Amino acid sequence: MLGRVIGRLKTVILGTAGTVFLASCASNAPQDTWVPKGPNAQKIDSLQKPVFAVAGIIGLIVAAAVVYSMIKFRDRGQPIPKQSHGNPALEITLTIIPALILAVVGVFTFRTVFDLNKTSDTQMIINVTGQQWWWEYDYPANNDFGITQPIITSGQLVIPVGTKVLLRETSRDVIHSYWIPALNGKRDAVPGRITLNRIEADEPGIYAGQCTEFCGLSHANMRMEAIALSKEDFAKWVANELKPYAAPAEGTLAKEGETVFLNQCTRCHQVNGLTRADGTPVIAAPDENVWSGAVPNLSHLMSRNTFAGAMFDLLTPECRTDVWKSESASFGAKYLAGVSESCLNQTDLRGWLRNAPEKKPMYANPAQLASTEGKYRGMPNLGLSESDIEKLVAYLLTLK
Amino acid sequence: MAIIEPTASSEASIAVIPPATPSSAMGALKRPVATKGWRQWVFTVDHKKLGIMYMATAMFFFLVGGLEAVMIRMQLALPNGKILNADLYNQMFTMHATTMVFLFVMPMTAGFANYFIPLQIGARDVAFPRINAFSFWALLFGGLFINLSWFLGGAADGGWFMYAPNSGPIFSPSHGVDFWALGLQITGIASLAGAINLIVTILNMRAPGMKLMRMPIFTWMSLVVQFLLAFAVPVITVALFLLSFQRNFGATFFDVSAGADPLLWQHLFWIFGHPEVYILILPSFGIISEVLPVFSRKPLFGYPFVVFSGAAIGFVGWGVWAHHMFASGLGPVSVAVFSISTMAIAVPTGVKIVNWTLTLWGGKLWFTTAMKFAIGLIVLFTIGGLSGVTHSVAPSDTQQTDTYYIVAHFHYVLFGGAVLGLFSGFYYWWPKMFGKMLNEKLGTWNFWFMIIGLNMTFGPMHILGLQGQPRRMYQWTENRAGEGFFNLAFWNLIASIGSLVLVVGVFFFLVNVFITARNGKVAPLDPWGARSLEWMTSNPPKEHNFDSIPTVHHLDEFFHRKYAEDANGQMQQIATAEEVLKQLEDNADTHIHMPSPSYWPIVIAFGLPVTALGVIYSIPLAIFGGLIILMGAFGWALEPSTAPDTDFDPPSSGNTSKDVVHVG
Repeated sequence: MLGRVIGRLKTVILGTAGTVFLASCASNAPQDTWVPKGPNAQKIDSLQKPVFAVAGIIGLIVAAAVVYSMIKFRDRGQPIPKQSHGNPALEITLTIIPALILAVVGVFTFRTVFDLNKTSDTQMIINVTGQQWWWEYDYPANNDFGITQPIITSGQLVIPVGTKVLLRETSRDVIHSYWIPALNGKRDAVPGRITLNRIEADEPGIYAGQCTEFCGLSHANMRMEAIALSKEDFAKWVANELKPYAAPAEGTLAKEGETVFLNQCTRCHQVNGLTRADGTPVIAAPDENVWSGAVPNLSHLMSRNTFAGAMFDLLTPECRTDVWKSESASFGAKYLAGVSESCLNQTDLRGWLRNAPEKKPMYANPAQLASTEGKYRGMPNLGLSESDIEKLVAYLLTLK
Repeated sequence: MAIIEPTASSEASIAVIPPATPSSAMGALKRPVATKGWRQWVFTVDHKKLGIMYMATAMFFFLVGGLEAVMIRMQLALPNGKILNADLYNQMFTMHATTMVFLFVMPMTAGFANYFIPLQIGARDVAFPRINAFSFWALLFGGLFINLSWFLGGAADGGWFMYAPNSGPIFSPSHGVDFWALGLQITGIASLAGAINLIVTILNMRAPGMKLMRMPIFTWMSLVVQFLLAFAVPVITVALFLLSFQRNFGATFFDVSAGADPLLWQHLFWIFGHPEVYILILPSFGIISEVLPVFSRKPLFGYPFVVFSGAAIGFVGWGVWAHHMFASGLGPVSVAVFSISTMAIAVPTGVKIVNWTLTLWGGKLWFTTAMKFAIGLIVLFTIGGLSGVTHSVAPSDTQQTDTYYIVAHFHYVLFGGAVLGLFSGFYYWWPKMFGKMLNEKLGTWNFWFMIIGLNMTFGPMHILGLQGQPRRMYQWTENRAGEGFFNLAFWNLIASIGSLVLVVGVFFFLVNVFITARNGKVAPLDPWGARSLEWMTSNPPKEHNFDSIPTVHHLDEFFHRKYAEDANGQMQQIATAEEVLKQLEDNADTHIHMPSPSYWPIVIAFGLPVTALGVIYSIPLAIFGGLIILMGAFGWALEPSTAPDTDFDPPSSGNTSKDVVHVG
């Protein structure tokens, strides 16, 4: 009888192990927490897999003991059992065993916690700021990586592979949480505080993430992606981000778009190097219009693949798949190509320009802004005409 | 207010003791005397009536919270769900959790505690019957008050954890959070008053011979819970006051620009919130620790270990709160320490599971519906406990927290644990409360639909969470869903279907209650062969519970009055339940004092939501509410301590065989 039970247990354990193996296959969800792609996530994974296994085995033992008792001791007309009140020796043994197991887990946990909080080996710092409902990345000047002046971007975090990056996180409004499961666990971005988060990727590729601290209306739409590039590709990316502004040629649709942009968008959105007709530089003042104080910098919008807090893709589904599914060797070149006209996701971008609050829940209805003194939380409906949208799209495509 | 229990037994003594105070003592003030109709419920101070009212209220809110849950699952069944918009979805999950925690599980356990603790310890009521009535009405009005927000501009939308600053007046401009914070203050007052009442009752009103270590385990676990409440509720009270002052009176407790730190809220909330988890689960642990021995025909294995592990959980439960904050950047020292303390609390919890399993071992198992739910709890709670251990490992928690893996974990703990325990209690104690047996066949359907439904709903959430689906998202997108066996689309759909199976399970219970009420089988005196004092009286018990208070010689007193070991060490029946009861009746106390009903508990309780409404909308209204409370307090203090027996319908003395005197 016991042999048969053990035999069945083996089947169940092997079956579970098989399922677990399946779980680590490639076609899983991009935020799979069991597929580490960098040393920090790897440390977590090596710690948690044995814990899952032990927990699973204990669960099966309990279930087996209960099922066995149910079969063996069901009422078959046997006499009322002896009224035994317990067995202290057995009881104490069964208390000490789990305590010992947990003590072992505790030792390894302790070590990993401190490893994951180390900051002395940092090679690159990126400031990450959460805001309802997008992330801003600010790269301080760093000569080791050719960052001669700060770079400000949003939506996609671009990092070089094999580099120990330290994210310095904070928030401009409510608490958010930064999470790229393949690279590390979560770390909250708390207003008034700076929290630190180690990130490192082993190979070039695109790693999905999502805000995981409930942050209000569009929490579900506050996504992010980490882009890991080879060191050479990262240098190219930096060079592109530092490239001066190139105004569209006179007489093109894009040039008309620049005018629309100047009139409609620069109150909030910064494009570095953009000047007015009289040659004065345009400095956006989002803090006058938006409660939390900032909006995404659009200087090199088409060098990234997403917009509106990474809720929408700038790439059409086919072009997106091409980037996401590419081998790590060819990934860098594909990513650096940016968004071409043929790959542009016109539907979502035009929809966004037409009526942003309809595409993404935001506090943008002027009637509901009493608590924020009339300032928006998110992009309002600008009431643009179709021809303005046409021109704007042409202009935005030039922001490579 | 205490129950006076004279030992005088001669007929003469009745004649010389008049009703304590005449009803005309304070002029217009009288005590209510109705024993029929709605008045017997509204003005009652009887712990059994109040227990039933608690349970009915909790069941109502269970259905409300369940409806909210189904709406959530319908929204998430398919990608880019359109049933609810983001705003409504956020209100829905906030209110689902708030309702289930504060308005279903807590009142339901309060109902069980109210009804059964006096019976289990051999008392005739609780120590403070009017405060008991007040607690119930405050709970009911607080719950209704919170839900009033649905009709006045939208419910709270910040999640049940209501993290600052997202819960502040800027980021949550509707009045929902105001209703939430003030409503929970009201239910908190109810919990606090109830906790003190039950602590005093348990410590002071046990039958002769009932030492603490002879107390039924449900009463023990409830005692631990009442202490947890007495210390945890004040913490959330402070937090809620800070929140209300920030929202309604311009304070800046969580305002970063004023130099505050929003993490303050998290510490306050979880110092309350983690003991709260044990407040929710320990009563069910107590219930199944009653049910398993009865249907195994042997005592609870290791009773002292179960008692002390319960108490240990009660203590260690105060040292684990920051495990809800592993991702908030507390620094490695705090994280490591709280990680270890969280692992430590798994040990006493494991002790309980071991003891339940060993209670079954070597028994003579009778698989009634109550027993099925109890065994279901052992297995499913174990799953929840073990997934809890996986996130006591702080680094792996940073991957799991705020994903569906956590949702899976606490639903296995709270549905697989707390709720199954409550259903086990319904089936076990229904004959005691209503004198009729719930239908076992429908009970079996109820059980299986709930077990399958809950595993279908919450099992897949382990996969969803480990595949990276965060909580509290009003929509999920195919872009992040993956393709393989573990793709989010499939498992979200299964979870949503599972929630409907759960609904069918609950529906079977409601049908069962309805059918039982119409023409259920009348319960025999001792339908289950029970072991503890609450079964040593009629079904349902008389108003005064016991004709004479039994003297307790054993743990499982009732069992030992029925069975004894013969010369061969075999358990033999020495008396039937009827004989045991007859013995108590034959020695009936001749003079039993019971508390009279009162008008004032409901009046004071009604003043609370009026005051709260005034805090939100207009201060004069708040003052008016304060006056209602003041009037209630005066009425309470000045009403006569009893109503004369002859005022009752039927009059208590003369017409009944027992001399029941109602005193205040």
